[in-house]
Amino acid sequence: MTISTTTAPLSSAAPGPSTGTLPRVRPLAITALGVISPAGVGLEALADALAGATAPCADPAQLPLGPSEPDGLPDNIRVVPDFRLADHVGRRKTRHLDRTTGLGLAACALLRAAAGPPPGEDADPAWDSTGVVLGSTSGSVRSSSEFARDTHVHDRPYLVDAAAFPNTVMNSCTGQIAIWNGLHGINATLSGGTTATLAAFRYARNALDRGHADRLLVGGVEELCPQTAWGWAASGALAQGFPVGEGCALFAVQDAARAREDGAPVLAELLASETAFSPEGVRPGVGAVLADCVTRALERAGVDPADVGAVSLGATGLVGFEEAERRAVRRALGGRTVTEIRVKEVTGEAYSADGAFQLAAVLARTAPGQLSLVTGIGQDGHVACLVVRTGEGA
Amino acid sequence: MSDLGPRRVVVTGLGAVSSLGKDAETLAAAVREGRSGISPARSFDTTGFPQVMAGEVPDFDPRASLRTLDPGRWGRSALLAAAAAAQAVTDAGLDRAELSRARAGSAMGTTSGEAPVVDRLTRQWVGEGLKSLDPGLVAQVPAGRIAAAVNTELGLTGEAQTIPTACSASNYAIGYAADLVSTGEADYMLAGGADSVNRYTHAGFLRLGALAEEVCRPFDKDRDGIITAEGGVALLLEPLDRALARGARVYAEVLGYGLSCDAKHMVHPDSGSVAECVRRAHRSAGITPDQVDYICAHGTGTPTNDLTEVAAVREVFGDRLPPISSIKSMLGHTMGAASGFGALLCCKAIEQGFLPPTANLREVDAALGPGLDPVPNTARPAEVRIAQNHGFAFGGNNAITILGRVS
Repeated sequence: MTISTTTAPLSSAAPGPSTGTLPRVRPLAITALGVISPAGVGLEALADALAGATAPCADPAQLPLGPSEPDGLPDNIRVVPDFRLADHVGRRKTRHLDRTTGLGLAACALLRAAAGPPPGEDADPAWDSTGVVLGSTSGSVRSSSEFARDTHVHDRPYLVDAAAFPNTVMNSCTGQIAIWNGLHGINATLSGGTTATLAAFRYARNALDRGHADRLLVGGVEELCPQTAWGWAASGALAQGFPVGEGCALFAVQDAARAREDGAPVLAELLASETAFSPEGVRPGVGAVLADCVTRALERAGVDPADVGAVSLGATGLVGFEEAERRAVRRALGGRTVTEIRVKEVTGEAYSADGAFQLAAVLARTAPGQLSLVTGIGQDGHVACLVVRTGEGA
Repeated sequence: MSDLGPRRVVVTGLGAVSSLGKDAETLAAAVREGRSGISPARSFDTTGFPQVMAGEVPDFDPRASLRTLDPGRWGRSALLAAAAAAQAVTDAGLDRAELSRARAGSAMGTTSGEAPVVDRLTRQWVGEGLKSLDPGLVAQVPAGRIAAAVNTELGLTGEAQTIPTACSASNYAIGYAADLVSTGEADYMLAGGADSVNRYTHAGFLRLGALAEEVCRPFDKDRDGIITAEGGVALLLEPLDRALARGARVYAEVLGYGLSCDAKHMVHPDSGSVAECVRRAHRSAGITPDQVDYICAHGTGTPTNDLTEVAAVREVFGDRLPPISSIKSMLGHTMGAASGFGALLCCKAIEQGFLPPTANLREVDAALGPGLDPVPNTARPAEVRIAQNHGFAFGGNNAITILGRVS
């Protein structure tokens, strides 16, 4: 607990910021995934919709509205079709779960079915120590809002449904995924709106690098509900007619070298994950901060900007941000324009799940070996970037 | 592992907005006196509620600490977080302009985010329907704005991560921020948390049977639950060598942290999983149980929590328990800020040489077993070299930070 005093001499001047580039990062591998989206169940369904072979579901009748029945939904929505949690996890103990948790559990069930072995009575040690890191900005806004509503409409304001209370905390879905699947590894939830999933990947990278976990399920979740859909409508943040959506995508992530040693399929490698922030009113502004973030991610990935072939943008549909993001990426790529992998026309503005769907779309739409970017700009100043190389197993 | 790291990480600045004082020093002095910050709730209409006590920040004026943010455009939790962070920067003796040019960011925890805003929008829904929502309020809902508020207030371009892992969230944030500073990913990080008292969280805990009638009495035989509370808290983290180079006051070193997940039940803690979290924190910090001088308990004061927590501590420490006290007896349960306030008071305990008390203690619950020292009612002078700070949460999200004196 004592310090050797061979450090720099004391001085009253604060040291300036460190310069110099940050070190290379170890690649992570995605070895399995589970996706549930307005295109339906699975990556194939999403790929078909992205290719225009099928249409995503836009039918408001697919969403039970509960106490907001009189309000209905705005015109433009994207909704997971025919969603019944029991189809994915059975009927037992699902009565008090909200849609956010349901979508998370369904995506996890799909991931586990793909990765094997299925959850059974015997705890599988590999799953037992797996953790979950999920982007979920404000949890289930519908659950919180309906719970709050009960305190205003009942004669006795405290006569709320105790069993529904856990749904109002924002880590509820992440915790339930662990409970239902016996995942005792680190369990973390990250906010951040349209960059929430990318924040989750950033958190996960640190946890894997620092040895807090060996394998993590990383992704994002958002449910469509009247509360947020009308919130979007009120905010004017989305382009005219742009749909609000929902869904969940989860990815099993571990060190890439170890994944290869273990003979696990490598669907993709995550070569870098960076996030930064652009404070309102501070120059050079959000576009320049994102361009720097992308440049830093490419440097840390050891990737030449000239080798990047595609980008999936996160701010699509966000008024005032979509073009800024496009320009920032172009600047970071030396002025080149690369293929845009668009996903929000299918998924809608899926907020916390945006980054997860963007990544899924990259895997669905690119060839093995392809280098791509997944980027995001949030409305409050968050920016983020993933560098992805599509794997042979995709 | 970065080739820059691992650097030793220290706390050089503290900021707090709480029911017991609107700065870290006032809060620490109140805790040393065993004072209570609990009073009847004023932030929501308590008509019809049988239990109305809460730990609210009285007359919080965001403008007292903030220079940049427009208080009308941010939710209360964001403002509490930003105010605490601004204080921590001042306390650390750092120049704002220099900090904004450095690789600096924030990691903030929360349980309910901007719940008072959600409640106001819900009233609009009940009154006028969902098509009448106020866009200005809608914009304030996202919990990610809590860290965004810190970065925006201080002009920081590094990461701004909000980690909503409920009532252990500040410890998650401190651990993550310490990692970034240790590896060289950041040179300064503000870490802590914020939450706001609100009607539906109060109702939920009441309905769960977890709300105390009048007083929070952790470890007492008559304990009957929590008091909902609020606040904002922030610690300024930087590398030890930089702190020494600029002649900064160093409160404590972040020696390590541990996380675990119960994966059993949403609201009932699991002592085996908590014990594993303690062991991981010790391994991370490179310490053994006998080196811990003080445990800042999660200590909610519900019958179940205190039993589970003490059992978990015994599983690791055996019969030689360090003093373990609960600041929630004075502050109430500040939710996502709770383990941040715990970390702050661990820093003060290390700096000033005292053990924070457990207030309101009349008779220690015999069911908690022999040899328990909850530091009853008044602070005690003591040398604190290593402090262990607990945070457990709904969802089975456990997080423990270890803070140590730098000598």
